[in-house]
Amino acid sequence: MKIMLAPKQRDELHNAVADYLSTSGFQDSLQAFKREAALPDFGADHKYSGLLEKKWTSIVRLQKKNMELETKMQELEREVKHGAPTREQRKPEDWVPRGPELHCLTGHRASVLRVIFHPKYSLLASSSEDASIKIWDYESGEFEKTLKGHTDTVQDISFDASGDRLASCSADMSVKLWDMQTYACIRTLYGHDHNVSCVVFMPTGDHVMSSSRDKTIKLWEVSTGHCVRTITGHADWVRKIAVTSDGKLVASCSNDQTVRVFNVATGECRAEFHGHEHVVECLAWAPTSSYTSLLEAAGPDNKGSKTGPFLLSGGRDKMLRLWDVGSGVCLFVLNGHDNWVRGVVFHPYGKYIVSASDDKTIRVWDIKNKRCHKTLEAHDHFCTTVDFHQSNPYVITGSVDQSVKVWECR
Amino acid sequence: MAVPQHAPTTIPKAVVDLAGDGRWMSQHNRFIAETHDKEPEVVFLGDSLIQQLQDTNVWRELFQPLHCLNFGIGGETTQNLLWRIAEGTLDVIKPKVIVLLIGTNNFLNTAGEVAEGILEIVRLIREKQPLSQLLVLELLPRGEKPNRQREKNSHTNQIIREQLRDTPRTAVINLDPGFVAEDGLISPQDMPDYVHLTDKSYRKAFTPLRDIIIRYLDSAELPSTSTQGGLISRDHPADEL
Repeated sequence: MKIMLAPKQRDELHNAVADYLSTSGFQDSLQAFKREAALPDFGADHKYSGLLEKKWTSIVRLQKKNMELETKMQELEREVKHGAPTREQRKPEDWVPRGPELHCLTGHRASVLRVIFHPKYSLLASSSEDASIKIWDYESGEFEKTLKGHTDTVQDISFDASGDRLASCSADMSVKLWDMQTYACIRTLYGHDHNVSCVVFMPTGDHVMSSSRDKTIKLWEVSTGHCVRTITGHADWVRKIAVTSDGKLVASCSNDQTVRVFNVATGECRAEFHGHEHVVECLAWAPTSSYTSLLEAAGPDNKGSKTGPFLLSGGRDKMLRLWDVGSGVCLFVLNGHDNWVRGVVFHPYGKYIVSASDDKTIRVWDIKNKRCHKTLEAHDHFCTTVDFHQSNPYVITGSVDQSVKVWECR
Repeated sequence: MAVPQHAPTTIPKAVVDLAGDGRWMSQHNRFIAETHDKEPEVVFLGDSLIQQLQDTNVWRELFQPLHCLNFGIGGETTQNLLWRIAEGTLDVIKPKVIVLLIGTNNFLNTAGEVAEGILEIVRLIREKQPLSQLLVLELLPRGEKPNRQREKNSHTNQIIREQLRDTPRTAVINLDPGFVAEDGLISPQDMPDYVHLTDKSYRKAFTPLRDIIIRYLDSAELPSTSTQGGLISRDHPADEL
């Protein structure tokens, strides 16, 4: 088959070929070619220099891009044809977030740093660098309320198990407790000497725990507002903490690049994990529902010695790491994000992990096979936080693009 | 070359607020607040050429993902930037890479004085941030036709190239993709006002900078790697790193 070129294109091709011959030192061929192609004044124009080589390399690049797009399109076509898997077609344990988003909630006037589901009502809370907390209905997408009181970035928020109380912490160095009936601030806890980066309710609801750039973790009594324990050990900013469901252990991650586990009652350090090569940004305890998948992923050797509990962490080194606190080793690494990992959460049925990253995506990881199962282009800027509802099929994300998005799982 | 002991370009000086709207100081204060809140890996310092970079697509695509803070302020001279750095712009952050472009607004000073000013800024940055890699961008040509500011900028570049050759963790980088055509003219498509860049010409000039920054970000993660000073020409940025 002969490809027809327009006269101008043919002219360009001839000149590009001549340029190639000339720069490669094929002088005889060049002379012959100039004669045969009737190119007497070749050499006057610089726009042909390197043109042929450029076309050569750009075609390879375009082909690669093309193949990626083809694969993506096939995937989407499959979803369209099969009616983009409805919930009925899949078991709830395989429901994962799918695009496009159900709602894009706008209203924050700066980066959103944390989003969490309310444990009972169809509500979510978001916290932002605009110093506010906002409450939204994730089913209708309606805005409910703004909680004002902090004077600087609200770093983190946490509901107690009943959903009656919300705790928040801020760069203004305070922790606040809010009543979810009246949306009023009922207590402000002072004691940290720097930015408070994380706050969690203890399972019983009578204490909250917080971590700070002052390198400490503090336990606070809700009824009195007193700090009843200060846990030290980290050498730098403690970014995030996570408490086990029995309230006995607290895991923490830090700018010192370690993950640590402390005994809440005594403050004693139970484990210290090295492996991340940059600041560790986020962590989550593995629910028991995930243990089967986790052990399969860890491989057949020494199965008996892997007792758990298991802890997942993500960091600025773009990696997710799964740690066995019982044996003190890293069981496996999930590698795929192209930028800092900012948030991690387990699927409630335990087969998947969902992570949020500064590469603007959220990724769904198939634990058993240790591979990325799905990538969602979630936001226009860094994706800072993700949460998975414990019983309803929804995922929420927040971003530096100032929006909160609600994703339906199917 | 006879340069006075204390060239005016080397003495920190706040901008005189002729308009009385306090914009320069507001920007400085906002940058200081940002340093308390954020953990940038890369910091850009300079005048409007740095400031306007953050409004471009090439910034959003290539630089934003690297966790950058842009501390450029339009109209600044070396002495103004010196004042900002002396007043805390780099005091609480630990960037791995610092990018500097300043001097084209010192149009009343000689090439020697401008170079002295840039060298003083480099000295202060090295003192405040001994572990970071400093990338000093050469001044870009300006003016539609050949003129003395253009000549002066290229003379300034020559001096800083020579003077910074052996400064540790400091590299001088020429990003000029050839803005001056063979006929000696700068195209309005590259520089509509013959000093500032367009979205497209920012892409032309600044695209190679990303790879250079990434090299240093990657090597910064291995504390044992020592980074030598030296020159990086635009044509072979990767080879010499």
